Amino acid sequence: MNKVIALEELSSFVAPGDSLGIGGAWMASHPMAAVRQLMRDGIGDLHVIGSLSSIDVDQLIGAGLVRELTFSMVSLEAYGLAPHFRKAVQDGTLIINEISGVAINVGLDAGARNLPYLPMRDIGASQLPEVTPDAFAEITCPFTGERLLAIRAIVPDVAIIHVLRADAAGNCQVEGPMACDPELARAAGRVVVTCEEIVETEVIARNPATTHIPGFLVDAVIEAPFGAHPTTHIPRYGFDAWAVMEYADACADGLADTHIAQLASESEAAYRERVLSADKRAVLTTIARNPKTLETQGT
Amino acid sequence: MSDYRIEELMVCRIASEVDDSGVTVLGSFTPLAYAAYMLAKLTHAQDAYLVGFNAIGMPAVELNLTGVEAAIYSGALAYWSFGPTTQTVHLGKRGLVECVSPAQIDGSGAFNLACIGDYNNPKVRMPGGAGSPEVMQHYERILVYFGRHDKRTLVDKVDFRTGQRYPLEASARLERGLLAGAIRVITPLAVLVKDDDAKPFRIETLNPGVDVTEVIENTGFELEVPTNIGTTAEPTPEQIKLLRDRIDPYATIKFDFLDAQSRKDMLRDLLQGEWDRALATSRENVGA
Repeated sequence: MNKVIALEELSSFVAPGDSLGIGGAWMASHPMAAVRQLMRDGIGDLHVIGSLSSIDVDQLIGAGLVRELTFSMVSLEAYGLAPHFRKAVQDGTLIINEISGVAINVGLDAGARNLPYLPMRDIGASQLPEVTPDAFAEITCPFTGERLLAIRAIVPDVAIIHVLRADAAGNCQVEGPMACDPELARAAGRVVVTCEEIVETEVIARNPATTHIPGFLVDAVIEAPFGAHPTTHIPRYGFDAWAVMEYADACADGLADTHIAQLASESEAAYRERVLSADKRAVLTTIARNPKTLETQGT
Repeated sequence: MSDYRIEELMVCRIASEVDDSGVTVLGSFTPLAYAAYMLAKLTHAQDAYLVGFNAIGMPAVELNLTGVEAAIYSGALAYWSFGPTTQTVHLGKRGLVECVSPAQIDGSGAFNLACIGDYNNPKVRMPGGAGSPEVMQHYERILVYFGRHDKRTLVDKVDFRTGQRYPLEASARLERGLLAGAIRVITPLAVLVKDDDAKPFRIETLNPGVDVTEVIENTGFELEVPTNIGTTAEPTPEQIKLLRDRIDPYATIKFDFLDAQSRKDMLRDLLQGEWDRALATSRENVGA
């Protein structure tokens, strides 16, 4: 079955008002090309669900496309607080459902299993269940009588996920950080993957151990080279910290709107042309290919 | 005694908690903790299982800003996703050590990564705690570190409880199916420890040259002050050499100890160096 579509056709799968799960974690493997396409198409009123979010969610909020956010963290890490997330929460313009990071995985797992919730042990005296009561409930184990925490199932209408390679049927391989992307793909109603390259099925079959999202979960496949940029996609390219710092600086200098407007107004090919100079490509691929590991023996 | 910086002493104190009896996970950007785990892996804990970005059994890596993930993945023994990692390590009682570096902690052990001010109308909205509520409750050894020890950070009461390990008494924890273990707070002044909800944090050790009064005056909550307080161990020359020559040659561990502007300057300098080195390497590879 051929599920390949162009990036420009993403809007056939993500509608305004949808709940949208976004893959990746920290500064790794966020589906940034798809995020940029949502900005180009202005698909708004979204309920975004992230796990460990960063520039992906911050840009969507900056573009005014997010009504509600389910999250455990939104951060630019060393590069500062996520400016649009921070401002939107401080201004009261964003509905937030703050959930602890492991509980999000449990909620996705429940969604994938067609269950209304799954239990886990408690999270101590955290106030998160108090401020996000729709996500957590205290229950009693029917077998042991122990007090446990029920986590409501998380079932996004649609998920966008970036992977290393996929075939036309949507069998996806990953050889680096994959966050909770497989769990997200199992839980979501529809799944759109972007990938560094589309390959023949026989390429997938040669190394099935790296297929973490099988094609039967996937609805559409989009080829998007550097599709996680400026976040990483190991083993292809390292972290474009220079670009993230530029984003943070632009926001700090009051140029956020210009920055977001530029992303929304240019094609993905034009984005790559503008942002990824020959030197930048050389640097990012070199970082990914020359790992600095330390020998533990003989020290 | 060797010549060392305070952050190096803190790295060594954290490293001493890491061994091969459980799994140690690299959390969100915490360079001091990363350096400590690598140091343990290169010295007393060569068999320690480290996990970074769901790379299970990762090797020790050099610390930098752009290449750590590639290094972590290049030598790891298994690639998982968050599902199996968190079910097995966080919720499955295999979590040994994790460090948290929140904006605030109070005398109950509650910490805040959410907001300054009221949760529903915050003065400053911060990133959120990621998996720290679960880590704090479920791991064996909880280390909370700060680049500064003052009453803005060690507060009377946190503005929001992102997480709080509760209960703390070993017997109550075991009864609830949780791992027992204390919370330690590691700062430029001292190491504080708490293992009983009914008692305040106790000064476990003072860092060399620090007077007990300085710790009390800069702490926003009550402290138990034992009559005899030991001194935090100083780094050995071998530890310092490993840190400076191999693990953290660009001194990323200074990050937590700098103000906002100095951090920015430091990031710019580090990134310029990483750009230059990567570009030089790519040209060598083309020439080869």
